Amino acid sequence: MTFPKFEYLAPQTLDEAISILEEKGPEVRVMAGGTDLLVKMRQGLLKPRTVVSLKRIQGLDKISFDRKDGLRIGATALLADVASHPSVRSHYPAVAYAASETANVQIRNMGTVAGNLCNAAPSADNAPVLTAMGACVVLAGPRGERCLPLDAFFLGPGLTAMEPSEILTEIRVPFPRRGTGTSYQHLSARGKVDISAVGVGVMLRVEGKTCREAGIILGAVAPTPLRARRTEKLLVGKSLTADLLERAGRSAAAESAPISDVRATASYRRKMVAVLTRRALSEAYERARRNAKKR
Amino acid sequence: MKAYSIVGRDIPRRDARSKATGSAVYTDDIKLPGMLHGRILRSPVPHARILNIDVSRAAALPGVKCVITGQDTPKIKYGNWRLFPATQDEYPLAVDKVRFVGDEVAAVAAVDRDTAEEALSLIRVDYEELPAVYDVRRAIRKDAPLIHEGSPGNVSVERKIAYGDVRAGFREADYVREDTFTVHPVSHAYLEPCSTVARCDPDGRITLWTSTQTPYIVQCLLASVLGMRENDIRVIKPFVGGGFGGKMELRPWEFCAAFMAKKTGRPVKFVLEREEELVFGRRRHPMRITSKVGFKKDGTLVAKDLKILLDGGAYNAMGPTATFLCGNFGAMLYRYPNYRFYGRHVYTNKPPASAMRGFGAPQSLFAAESQMNMAAEDLGIDPIELRLKNAQVPGDVIPDVATISSCGFVECLREVARMSGWNRKRKTHKPGRGIGVGCYSFISGGVFNWFNTQYPFSAAEVRAFSDGTVHLLTMASDIGQGSDTALAQILAEELGLRMEDIRVTSADTAMTPQADLGSWGSRVTLMAGNAVVQAARQIKEALFGAVSARFNLNVIYDFECKEGRVQARGRPDRGVSFGEAVAMAQKANRGEPVVARGYYTPRNKGLVTPAFSFGAQVAEVSVDRETGLVEVEKIWTAHDCGTVINPTAVEGQLEGSIHMGLGYALSEELRMENGRTLNRTFLDYKMPHAPDMPANESLCVDTYEPEGPMGAKEAGEGLVSPTAPAIAEAVYHATGYRCKDLPITPEKILKGMKK
Repeated sequence: MTFPKFEYLAPQTLDEAISILEEKGPEVRVMAGGTDLLVKMRQGLLKPRTVVSLKRIQGLDKISFDRKDGLRIGATALLADVASHPSVRSHYPAVAYAASETANVQIRNMGTVAGNLCNAAPSADNAPVLTAMGACVVLAGPRGERCLPLDAFFLGPGLTAMEPSEILTEIRVPFPRRGTGTSYQHLSARGKVDISAVGVGVMLRVEGKTCREAGIILGAVAPTPLRARRTEKLLVGKSLTADLLERAGRSAAAESAPISDVRATASYRRKMVAVLTRRALSEAYERARRNAKKR
Repeated sequence: MKAYSIVGRDIPRRDARSKATGSAVYTDDIKLPGMLHGRILRSPVPHARILNIDVSRAAALPGVKCVITGQDTPKIKYGNWRLFPATQDEYPLAVDKVRFVGDEVAAVAAVDRDTAEEALSLIRVDYEELPAVYDVRRAIRKDAPLIHEGSPGNVSVERKIAYGDVRAGFREADYVREDTFTVHPVSHAYLEPCSTVARCDPDGRITLWTSTQTPYIVQCLLASVLGMRENDIRVIKPFVGGGFGGKMELRPWEFCAAFMAKKTGRPVKFVLEREEELVFGRRRHPMRITSKVGFKKDGTLVAKDLKILLDGGAYNAMGPTATFLCGNFGAMLYRYPNYRFYGRHVYTNKPPASAMRGFGAPQSLFAAESQMNMAAEDLGIDPIELRLKNAQVPGDVIPDVATISSCGFVECLREVARMSGWNRKRKTHKPGRGIGVGCYSFISGGVFNWFNTQYPFSAAEVRAFSDGTVHLLTMASDIGQGSDTALAQILAEELGLRMEDIRVTSADTAMTPQADLGSWGSRVTLMAGNAVVQAARQIKEALFGAVSARFNLNVIYDFECKEGRVQARGRPDRGVSFGEAVAMAQKANRGEPVVARGYYTPRNKGLVTPAFSFGAQVAEVSVDRETGLVEVEKIWTAHDCGTVINPTAVEGQLEGSIHMGLGYALSEELRMENGRTLNRTFLDYKMPHAPDMPANESLCVDTYEPEGPMGAKEAGEGLVSPTAPAIAEAVYHATGYRCKDLPITPEKILKGMKK
């Protein structure tokens, strides 16, 4: 395939970027790391007339954290930087882990968490945990900013709720309340470096052994990252016994809607949802208990 | 082991610096003035008659300089098996029919790649689709669609081997088992996709720079399809980024580049996309292998009956050789007093399979070694013990195949058991953990002259100069395996010189001596190495004569080339420097340059190979019993490659082989649906990554191959075979799931464990 010809713009301010989007209309694409966009263009799957890079906009790559506002990940913050950020690692270990497990070293050094979300692949490694933790994304457009929960962000493979003239500028993840634990579990045929065939992100908040809050998001088993609502309900208010976690795994599997493709069959994916959900819940539970003791 | 000063040392590769710094020039780096860029139009359907091709819109596109279809070409069929013209079944561009999705139909040369690509979309081809067949068992049925006229039942090549009395053998047996194994297609996945640049001189001669393992074969076949004389074509092999068997034939883009360069008078370049390589490219033969073996109660092998259907895809490519070899490999490693093989190469409407590292051995030995492990379990004998009981030893004769000369197989088995802690680990069984063994034997080059060359199999010219340097010219092709380094080491050793004293020019058909059959079948070290040794010895004779005359020495003196000097053995005072000796020899001959040629063609070595390598490998795995994911933790290998020329190069071959074997066993598979390959990129073609590689420990057992240069034999291909059966056995040991259909996927393990 040949690379289609396109116009490349690299504005220095967000306002400038937004006005370019407004002016150029739907045939424009926003680029952060380019690790998905450029590959799709090369494969002829996308043929934008204009590509707008965000890389020269100052401050957009910032990762900041405080206990009041929680975590903020700028649109051009690299996967590698999120994965190694000390505050992310200590307060959002599953967010750091998901970033550290995305693709390979080269891609993590170019690609961004925001780009991984905007690409809206059902298998996006960063979506499940962030969604489970109640993260929202800040979308800046001609009429100002809005904050959209990730639950409402993904509409289908490659489709998001962003308007054509909007730019995702920041991901906000609330500071986890006392007794919260998270986990991300994923697998693929190749083992250690691969696109996930199944991924499960979990957040649990416990008081003692009782589950007070549960977020379970399944990746790569539906057109979008899928919230396993029935399974969440199954857990809340109950004591998290091994048996319950096992049942939760089976329930999540029942909620999943995988397809068969070259990466795995639907039946294997469904089985793996059960295994990974149970493992994620169990790790999140461990972390939640440690977290409850720590403070 | 004999003491050498350069052979056996970790000499850095000659190409290391230029590759590491990026200065190495590969085919795609070649840019010539006025060069055009070519692209190929491929068939979108698996089997069809071509009714009409309309190229008018493509030809009219500004920037397009040349558009060709099969009708514009001389319509001459070609194929590597020149000895049997009936096997030559390919046209450079389809003439009447297309036979697989990806079959080459037309080509465009334009001022740039984008224009050429756009022009492809303007070519209109009318196809009349024909019924297609994808499965070998269907393809051999009477009612199957016929893919090639003249190959009824879609069988293009048959091979039979038989010795002893198989029926009587099975009657004698106390234990008989029959199993059917299937193995899948995988890609060579060389990093450099196929690339070629052709230039036509004003006098009509062609120069072709091409990413190939076999410049000589490309030269000859290109001449034949263009209707030209061989020596009006010069093929040069630049740096090559791997071949693994996938670059050893004439390919359509080489023809198209040369043909269009001739037509336009401008150089033409083709560089394939990775997607083309994966989706339409050559691949390792899928096979259906039915093997019946018989043993005595004590584990002694008595008979084997092996039947293999090779899924060749749409054309023969190197399939006939694979058909021969998988039957030969079935007779290797163990003493089968009664043996029978029936192999059939079957056409299907899929991209052609061809040679790939191991050349029939990975498939054949996966079956043989797995079956050995199954039999061991049934017989209640340890798998390594059972192998030791039946192992081939030096001097063993395999009728129809070979007489084995050097063979360290028994030592390999003992060493690998010791290194891996086999006895202890095999007995202490923990759920989810397992250990397994697999073995191999491989050829050091082929004997059977299917290409029907009239030249020696390998040749070397050595020119010695009075400044103390020498120039080695050979058509042997370094495709990344390191033959330029190994051959220079052999020459430096023989002449007592340093590596920096040796210049190597290789793989240029107009400049290097005729001929060399290429880099395949692990032939180069042994065959080209022998040619180098022979040439060097003639140089030495000339120099010894000159030095003897200079010192007026008694004729009983022996001479040596050592540390840059030519001298009476053990008498450094009766000698001169290498350069001085060359000057003396030259003057004695009235200025005639000191030049010698050496050749090698195997003779009296049967029809298969002059020498066999051997090895045994143990894999230890852990299996996640819930997800079915396998982690290969460690691999131990003991192997017999004769004298080791360059230990680091051998280690590199071993690690590369483990990497390939690991992918073959667990994750790599070209997934097919109705003749279409589904994995279009490396995202979905799952080659293992660096973190997936197991730890590995290895040992070369000490043997000396009398037919090899300084005792050396092959180390580049055989090692790729034992990994899959070793991992399969380890997975069985860990989970109870026995894989008979590669690859070993997590899904199969989970299903298999339930039983």
